[in-house]
Amino acid sequence: MVMAEGATVVRRNRPGTTAKYIQQNIRSDCSNIEKIMEPPEGQDEGVWKYEHLRQFCLELNGLAVKLQTECHPDTCTQMTATEQWIFLCAAHKTPKECPAIDYTRHTLDGAACLLNSNKYFPSRVSIKESSVAKLGSVCRRIYRIFSHAYFHHRQIFDTYENETFLCHRFTRFVMKYNLMSKDNLIVPILEEEEEEEEEGGQNPSTGESEA
Amino acid sequence: MDEHPGGGGGAAAGGGMATARQQQAPQQGNHNAVNPQIGPGGTASAVQQQDEMPRPQQYTIPGILHYIQHEWARFEMERAHWEVERAELQARIAFLQGERKGQENLKNDLVRRIKMLEYALKQERAKYHKLKYGTELNQGEVKMPSFESEDTKETEVPAVPQNSQLTWKQGRQLLRQYLQEVGYTDTILDVRSQRVRSLLGLSGSEQNGSVETKNLEQILNGGESPAKRKGQDMKRNPGDVLETFNFLENADDSDEEEEDEEGDLMEDLSNRTDKQRIKKHKIKVGNEGLASDLPDDPDTEEVLKEFDFLVNAEDGEGAGEARSSGDGTEWAEPLPFPSGGGKSFIMGSDDVLDSVLGLGDLADLTVSNDEADYSYDLPANKDAFRKTWNAKYTLRSHFDGVRALAFHPVEPVLVTVSEDHTLKLWNLQKTVPAKKSASFDVEPIYTFRAHVGPVLSLAVTASGEQCFSGGIDSTIQWWNIPSSNVDPYDTYDPSVLAGSLLGHTDAVWGLAYSGIKNRLLSCSADGTVKLWDPQEKMPCLCTFNSEREHGIPTAVDFNGCDPAYMVASFNTGSAVIYDLETSQSVVEFSAQKDSSLPAGNHINKVVSHPTLPVTITAHEDRHIKFFDNKSGKVIHAMVAHLDAVTSLAVDPNGIYLMSGSHDCSIRLWNLDSKTCVQEVTAHRKKSDESIYDVAFHPSKAYIGSAGADALAKVFV
Repeated sequence: MVMAEGATVVRRNRPGTTAKYIQQNIRSDCSNIEKIMEPPEGQDEGVWKYEHLRQFCLELNGLAVKLQTECHPDTCTQMTATEQWIFLCAAHKTPKECPAIDYTRHTLDGAACLLNSNKYFPSRVSIKESSVAKLGSVCRRIYRIFSHAYFHHRQIFDTYENETFLCHRFTRFVMKYNLMSKDNLIVPILEEEEEEEEEGGQNPSTGESEA
Repeated sequence: MDEHPGGGGGAAAGGGMATARQQQAPQQGNHNAVNPQIGPGGTASAVQQQDEMPRPQQYTIPGILHYIQHEWARFEMERAHWEVERAELQARIAFLQGERKGQENLKNDLVRRIKMLEYALKQERAKYHKLKYGTELNQGEVKMPSFESEDTKETEVPAVPQNSQLTWKQGRQLLRQYLQEVGYTDTILDVRSQRVRSLLGLSGSEQNGSVETKNLEQILNGGESPAKRKGQDMKRNPGDVLETFNFLENADDSDEEEEDEEGDLMEDLSNRTDKQRIKKHKIKVGNEGLASDLPDDPDTEEVLKEFDFLVNAEDGEGAGEARSSGDGTEWAEPLPFPSGGGKSFIMGSDDVLDSVLGLGDLADLTVSNDEADYSYDLPANKDAFRKTWNAKYTLRSHFDGVRALAFHPVEPVLVTVSEDHTLKLWNLQKTVPAKKSASFDVEPIYTFRAHVGPVLSLAVTASGEQCFSGGIDSTIQWWNIPSSNVDPYDTYDPSVLAGSLLGHTDAVWGLAYSGIKNRLLSCSADGTVKLWDPQEKMPCLCTFNSEREHGIPTAVDFNGCDPAYMVASFNTGSAVIYDLETSQSVVEFSAQKDSSLPAGNHINKVVSHPTLPVTITAHEDRHIKFFDNKSGKVIHAMVAHLDAVTSLAVDPNGIYLMSGSHDCSIRLWNLDSKTCVQEVTAHRKKSDESIYDVAFHPSKAYIGSAGADALAKVFV
């Protein structure tokens, strides 16, 4: 029964559809990244990636809510992580230097539009080959939210990460499916997984990077 | 000359001349030779010839005769040519006539076929409807189309001018009769015909044939009798006919009625084609008038442009047309043009008619449709006849199920809340160009982020400037709704969040807002119902059901008739009306204790009727129950769906009830008869759940549904 179960379970979960399956795994143990990442038998890989990305965008809303309190346009006037790169927001006709909180909101809204658009993703049971490339660019932009939060709003990042392990999961996700180049993964994951990631951020050239 | 008058005149001109010349040659050749026949005459004639040559103006009888003979021969030849030509043309005429007859027959056959198909379709629809609802579909009279009169009418064509008056009067009577069977009263007909006439530039309510005949004559360039006949056609009250064609733009239920009318109309075949021709004339005549009257409708302008073509063609062929007898096939050439464009003017819901009118020959029908289209104020008429809602907008952007939706009071704007922790604002005028033209995708113009966890409930204020949302995080967030033209990628404005109402200790499942006194009601899984005044420093005014005496509240609503009262529904199956001023419960609608499903009494939603003292509840056990507020008794209970009924909405006029259910269907009910007037299937199931919320727009003709598949849909 939906309503009587109140705060704990919102709906009757049954691993029928992919989204439900992922959500159930997350709900049961959000730190068990291996289990969450493992696709079930016969799962189409494109759909798996797509549904995971949707789930990431969904959960990132929580981080965005927290950031809204602390990340102000006057303190974080640009979207940066480390000092070398300034990220331009791709949600506008010409890439714009949005303040960090705007970048975060616009990127999440833009990802919502893209992932839900009938043009690129008309079906949730099979993904067009041409649209798989879009997933990579969405991942790249989403990752910058993590990196900005890590380097500029550390406390919020840590609290949120401890609750959800979202950045860990995201990093593992993009590496597993090669959705981003490793150079871009600049948020240091915990020591026990250090062999899998790089201490990046030593980009020689300063400049502006557009999405 | 003087010497040989006899010689020259005696012989025939040609013979004389020839003889003279022949004789001349030898004479000239041999002056010494003696020609006993001619003698001095020959010499003289030779001289005469020589004299005549340089002097052609001197007429000789032979010369004249010769010339006349020559000319006559030429005339004879030309006459022969003309005879041949005439014979050829006559043959051609005969051939064309034969062809035309053939086309006529073809057209009749097709028309017959159409009628049969229409009849069959009507039968099917009746059967289907009977099976589906157990009631008869109101189609009017479903008559087997009769064909026997058609042939007779064809032969009557030449005789039409004589008894046209009588036939048309009869036909008109017949039409009125059919229309009355359908439900049109005379007043409607009169009003309609008035409107049509005024639009087409006809004067008053008289059947004033003279105006039309004058115009027709200008176009037809003569042919008195056909023009007069057309004048008589005018008296046939085109208004009636156009009204019947007006059916063609209405929704499906009316489709059968109008097809029936057309079927009966078809019997009067020749009259019909006459009418169509007249209408075309009228269209041409009224082109200028119409063009100014009509709104800037690109479709309409196209139509009128096409008819301009017809006008131009007409002027040249005027004389020829006037002579031909009354049949539609003379339009064979111009027809293909309107047919192509005309089809597009048929409203989207008339799928049947689209296929029916696919035949080029029957473009007559299409043309009439166009006229009907722009003869009337569409919205005004549609209200009376629209019975079906069709999906128009799909709102895609949420990542998880949409739990609730609410419309703005006046604008085509709505707010949705979702389990993805966000609220989104949508403007129905900002659609994404989609592949399918029938329905539009909409993207949100703003995303509200503040909840931690799924957002479950929503209430929009009466002004439409603010809204409240309740979530699993037990908070109620108070938002200022941005303008409907806001740029979705604008800078973040923290003032959109006007405030938070904290007080509940568990998920807030239901919200209701009353513009009078600016009050908000909320119900929560913590068992309480709270009354808030958001402007106050201590917004929570009152708490109800603190001891959980009735169970856990699931939904709340202000009383439509008197907002000093409110009704709350509980998971125990009971609903209670509270007096907000005294904080006491006034009436309790108790649950039936014997429900087959274990949690069958669970009420998912309660709404209060806007004008009547009625409360309506949606139950988990598929029932919808109606309670009387005064007595507390059940007025009516019905099994409404195949699965739990999750949501209810009453339309602003209080006539219809809309219910949504996990069986993926939205049903519209007539509150007087408590019968279902429409069912719409919408939203896929996601883990056994489908539709979470339904809503009416308070002032526009929109209805919306929120689904577990992360979509919200708007129907028009």
